Amino acid sequence: MNPAVWQDALREVTGVTGVIGALIISADDGLVVAETAMEGLATADVAALAAALVTRAVRCNAAMQVAIPSSLHLVATAGALLAVAGPSPLWMVAVAGPDAELGRLRLLLRDFAGVLR
Amino acid sequence: MRVLEPWVTDPLAEFLRESAARLALVMTSSGQVIAQHGFTRSVDVMSAASLGAGILATTDELARQLQASAGFGAVVHQGGRQGVWLSGFDTPRGRWIALVVFGPESSVGLVRLFFARFATQLAAAAPALVPVRDVLAEGFERELDDSLRNLFGAH
Repeated sequence: MNPAVWQDALREVTGVTGVIGALIISADDGLVVAETAMEGLATADVAALAAALVTRAVRCNAAMQVAIPSSLHLVATAGALLAVAGPSPLWMVAVAGPDAELGRLRLLLRDFAGVLR
Repeated sequence: MRVLEPWVTDPLAEFLRESAARLALVMTSSGQVIAQHGFTRSVDVMSAASLGAGILATTDELARQLQASAGFGAVVHQGGRQGVWLSGFDTPRGRWIALVVFGPESSVGLVRLFFARFATQLAAAAPALVPVRDVLAEGFERELDDSLRNLFGAH
């Protein structure tokens, strides 16, 4: 665990065009572990709701007896939420606007999920 | 769900639905129960209320001793299978306390998120207090006479 490395990773994620915020959350308790976000983004609320989403997705896959999800991509009309699993119970989450470079963001998140270890 | 004040019902029902909490207890800061949900006979409401109020009073005093002027927002007890969220909040009826028990289907984050909404909704839903009529010295004797007459009959 290296919080300084985590902050660097989060800063790089928020550097992607259209990204509003990046967080490392604990899926077990829905709390923010580390964050870098634009002012106005309710990161604690994002962490709570993203954790609830991730937990339900994991349970859903378990019920279907398929592999546990390692990433989650939620697309909305005004933006997107991407989450990538780190070592349990950590997940790296990015909140992006409608104009975000989602392809690059996905690749970055996958790379940085490894940094959490 | 059982409530003493009917206007608490809707905000509490929404909070329970959104947060997926198992048990909830709303009480005054002195431990008088206003509403409860999920408590069965095996979990004594009165004991939980008085213990919850005691814990919060202790943390408030601890905050005072530590000169934490804003106090502590909430107390969370996290167990293996369930957790307890205990928090005070201001209402037009004074400071109230909520004790929430949640399982793995919820989380501290979710309870925190929807609890903030619950407190806001409760404050908005509270009906205006009916002002207590002052008993003036000049009217006191007449009111006493009227009361005695009503009780014992006019002579």
